[in-house]
Amino acid sequence: MSEINLTLKIWRQPNAEAEGKVETYSVENISTDSSFLEMLDVLNEKLTHEGVDPVAFDHDCREGICGMCGAVVNGVAHGPEKETTLCQLHMRHFKNGDTIVIEPFRSRAFPIYKDLMIDRSAFDRIIQAGGYTNVNTGGTPDANSVRISSQQLELAMDAAACIGCGACVASCPNGSAMLFTSAKVSQLALLPQGQVERKERAQAMVQCMDGEGFGHCTNTKECEAVCPKGISISNIARLNREFLKGIFTGRDD
Amino acid sequence: MWFVRFLTSSIGKKMVMAVTGLCLILFLCVHAAGNVTIFVGSAVFQGYAENLHSHPVIVFIFRVGLLALFLIHIGVGLLLWQEGRKEGKNRYVVNTWVSKNPYAMSTMPYTGLFILFFVLIHVFGFAVAPTHDQMISHVIDDALSNFFYVLLYLAGFAALFIHLSHGFWSMLQTVGINHPRYNTLIARATWVVPGGFLCFFSLIALYLLTTSTY
Repeated sequence: MSEINLTLKIWRQPNAEAEGKVETYSVENISTDSSFLEMLDVLNEKLTHEGVDPVAFDHDCREGICGMCGAVVNGVAHGPEKETTLCQLHMRHFKNGDTIVIEPFRSRAFPIYKDLMIDRSAFDRIIQAGGYTNVNTGGTPDANSVRISSQQLELAMDAAACIGCGACVASCPNGSAMLFTSAKVSQLALLPQGQVERKERAQAMVQCMDGEGFGHCTNTKECEAVCPKGISISNIARLNREFLKGIFTGRDD
Repeated sequence: MWFVRFLTSSIGKKMVMAVTGLCLILFLCVHAAGNVTIFVGSAVFQGYAENLHSHPVIVFIFRVGLLALFLIHIGVGLLLWQEGRKEGKNRYVVNTWVSKNPYAMSTMPYTGLFILFFVLIHVFGFAVAPTHDQMISHVIDDALSNFFYVLLYLAGFAALFIHLSHGFWSMLQTVGINHPRYNTLIARATWVVPGGFLCFFSLIALYLLTTSTY
């Protein structure tokens, strides 16, 4: 284990309405075994002792599965490591004396609460618009009564790996939520349980996505490159197919 | 109305771009096939042009159709460009690009508008300006004997190459064509198709520049 000293340039913004600005801090003796968020914990402890308002940042499970954490580190969402959430990014990937610029995920659809904390409830509203299945109540069905091929199952699981962190939106030049929405549409479109609402689902979720202020997909692949869960843009192609099928063959009007 | 919902959605607009883009690519293929006659000889090319124009109805339908395709592709393209700019170019203090080849993608509106500029000059020079008694084979030879005119043409073909090196793949992805079995083929075609147009059309321009008597 070794220790490093860093200069941090962090976006500080007291609330949603206030003008924000970048503040510079220094942290010393950061263990290279610590995670990025633990490094921010060390900074916040120091700031609290100095009587400065600590840096607000989103976090929850700190094991890379909840989708709560995330910030743009030196211009890259979740930092420089591939398929790694910010909480799983370790300080061994930085060198002594490095300057790290930390900014919140930015998008018109993600207002900033404070500092690095953002409001991602637009994602919840997209899910509410169609990211569900209807299930009959009653006795538990037999586990093997619904048949699915293992390949199909794996594809659905790959899509379901999306943790909804918003890195795709933060990195897209248009602020598009297509990777997120496509993963959520795909995980259900690929499963037998998701067939009932299939024709309405993509339409409803895309309509909500457009309404929330997310941009259109311009096929830059930047979302796929930064996604901590490696969600493929083949899901976006599937969403496009689902949308096309739904809108041209649906029977809603 | 379902069709209005389709056209006003973000995916619908991209699909309009993809379909009109495909039609324009197909037109370019037909255009290129006709232009092969240039290499055979000036009389053959002149004969081809006269044959084509002996069917004024077909020419009229093609002209109106092409104009509509261009207007839709450019109009919706500019609308999407303007919508995409809402997010702001420099929303971060540090901007880092992670994925490959952002150049063609980020310059789509600029290469597109340059192609429009080129097409306007091309159509004006070879379709609008020549009078009926001028032979088209002489008009193209006169124009493309000028070094700077050829240079402008080469720049137009280069812009088309850059535009399609993103557009071709993007078009297929937008209509939902993305499959592990075909993705390698699509990736290759994304260079081969624009490269083919670039080589073929440049060859015509350079051939007419270097041939003294056509």
